[in-house]
Amino acid sequence: MDIDKKKCVGCGNCHIICTMGAISLDADGQSVINQEACVECGTCDRVLRNEGYQPWAVRAIRKVLTLCKLGYLADADLCPTGALTPPDLTWPRVLRAQFSNPTVVHPGTGVPGRGTDEIKSNDVTGRLRHGEAGLVVEVGRPGIGAFFRDVERVAMALAPLEPVFEPENPVTLLISDLKTGRMREEVLGEKVLSAIIELKTGIERIPEFLAALERVQHQVDTVISVGIASRCLADGTIPHEALVKKAGYTLSPNGKTNLGLGRPLFREDEP
Amino acid sequence: MTNTLHRQGTLESLKQDYMIFVHTAKGKNREGSAEKIREFMKICLKHNPVNMGDVKLGSMHQDGVVMEQLIANQGDGTVGAAVFTDLDTLQKVVEELIVADLGICINITGLLEEVRACCRKAGITRHSAEHSLGIWGAKDRLPEREVMEFNTMCGHGMVSFNLIRKMIEQVRMRRMTPKQAARMMAKCCMCGAFNPARAEALLEGMRASGFLYSRRG
Repeated sequence: MDIDKKKCVGCGNCHIICTMGAISLDADGQSVINQEACVECGTCDRVLRNEGYQPWAVRAIRKVLTLCKLGYLADADLCPTGALTPPDLTWPRVLRAQFSNPTVVHPGTGVPGRGTDEIKSNDVTGRLRHGEAGLVVEVGRPGIGAFFRDVERVAMALAPLEPVFEPENPVTLLISDLKTGRMREEVLGEKVLSAIIELKTGIERIPEFLAALERVQHQVDTVISVGIASRCLADGTIPHEALVKKAGYTLSPNGKTNLGLGRPLFREDEP
Repeated sequence: MTNTLHRQGTLESLKQDYMIFVHTAKGKNREGSAEKIREFMKICLKHNPVNMGDVKLGSMHQDGVVMEQLIANQGDGTVGAAVFTDLDTLQKVVEELIVADLGICINITGLLEEVRACCRKAGITRHSAEHSLGIWGAKDRLPEREVMEFNTMCGHGMVSFNLIRKMIEQVRMRRMTPKQAARMMAKCCMCGAFNPARAEALLEGMRASGFLYSRRG
């Protein structure tokens, strides 16, 4: 995101809205974006209403109010002068928007949001079959963000265990060597709100993967939200539940359920 | 919609938080899905969700969004979602969706055992399920537990920690009501996954028991 210096009156509303806390006031009292920290999520531009005032008018009113020792409490969801300017993003910076702005559809998967399918369509894809479990490792979430070099570090910790990285996943598409988990060099310096490493393996091997995650979690300067999924048994039991508990991990009481209403329903005897 | 997986809060609070959403798969049921997604949205809308939206088109708490118009503009493969605060309503929505037999993938995020019971009552067995294993890594960089309860309601991370703190402060200073502050947060969430009713209840609770750093004994 860019801020038009000719328009900005330094009201500070965008500082609060910014998901990465990347906006601050400069010495001239105008807002400035730390481009290294900005993830191009577009939240500031989407949420703040452009009031369309002339910058000189806003500054003049503010001076008068200051002279009278008065203040004006503006709504938090407006930009008085429409100073926020979405830039035309080029590679590799465009990845920031693809991974951080939920309205952007990932070109590789055709899915908006974070661009992943996981179990959301497992009833028709059969991505996770009986005996398999999926791990969803979201690096940077919640609210901290991650550079792809962090994502790579986590991917490289998991790759030696030979998982099946989900091919229709935006992170997998950036991994240049699935055997090592190494990502494309030119993307490593890009920061995103979060990126999801999605993989599957035999359900009995899940504790090995969680142990690898435990080791790597302290080598990245960000947070990681971890999820685990599997295909339910005929009576609705979740197969990974007992296994993960036995391995000493705590499962959330809430989670996601695929109701199985998609058609055509995947059959286990399909290739 | 992994963005709905890691919602945090007490069991009591999570009992008021159920999100139902559609998804489609390329080459399976995505192509030609627009009308089915619209039908899903219409069924949900009939049952008065507290939030609802489409990740590409916005949510009902955003300025200028008219739900009927939003639904009419939905295209193939988009992700539509609706949030409900009680199981009875969710049950009715699920039953209606089963009868409608839309063929698109339908998922619910919420307390897993409650959702399982809801499926049973509706005569279906859940297909797949996903748990959160929580947050790992540099947890010392995260804000207060209370702030996390709001933030994780939008897993896309659109509701910033700073905005949440500001809204809590505005309520504390009586410059905003909990309802206004909750709506402001909901406005940031594009897909409609944020639960403003629960956010309002959390703010009301803070007003009664003390705000950040000022919890009453």
